[in-house]
Amino acid sequence: MSEFMKALSVSASGLKAQADRIRHVSENIANADTPGYRRKTVPFETEFSDGTIAGRVKAGRVTLDRSDLERIYDPSHPLADETGQYDGSNVDLIVEIADAREAQRSYEANLKMFDQARQMSSSLMELLRK
Amino acid sequence: MFGKLEIFRMASAMAKHAGTRQAAIAQNVANADTPGFKARDIASFSDIMSRRRDVTGQFATRPGHLNGALDPAQPEFRIVEAAADSPNGNSVSIEDEMMKSVDTQRQHERSIAIYRSSLNILRTSLGRS
Repeated sequence: MSEFMKALSVSASGLKAQADRIRHVSENIANADTPGYRRKTVPFETEFSDGTIAGRVKAGRVTLDRSDLERIYDPSHPLADETGQYDGSNVDLIVEIADAREAQRSYEANLKMFDQARQMSSSLMELLRK
Repeated sequence: MFGKLEIFRMASAMAKHAGTRQAAIAQNVANADTPGFKARDIASFSDIMSRRRDVTGQFATRPGHLNGALDPAQPEFRIVEAAADSPNGNSVSIEDEMMKSVDTQRQHERSIAIYRSSLNILRTSLGRS
């Protein structure tokens, strides 16, 4: 397998991992007001199992954020307990937006790498023309 | 016959080096958010070439050869010592990688330009245009 193919494959794995991450971010934001929802986090890990291409990245097992749920005071809510409070979600919108920005930035960087490897390989192909 | 022309070999080794370096950079960028990942890079082409000139011993040109280092134009990925890691132990700086990738692309273009120009000279000497 040529180096360009490796580069393309590694960049594609990065794109996929970032897309996975942004999907979970949007899931968290969508459920920001769901009672009892815990935010999901995606750990990234380097893949070494495949002998031919080292360094591919993959999104690992989704884990739940263990931090405390927000207590919301609303006695009229059906889930409210005797103190008039119920468990909200532990999604912090600021954190999610920051995470989404980071994912976007990394996605763009990977896309740029992909495009560049493609350009290099096509300029190599140009040699054969004429 | 033309396969032994040194300038073609040099140009293709340079292009190959650029390809390998691009793969290293792609790996770094893909792992820019992986905790504990250390940035990797390969030795620069001029380093490799000067090392090759200094060596007086044997070179292995195919994997079956017993002595000598195999293909110095195919260098190892090595971990770069970074000044500062981010809190999760990752040492990749996207900005640095972008600079390196532009560098690599220009190296690749340069090598292809050299190859093409030499090819043109060869064609002209054969009486074709």
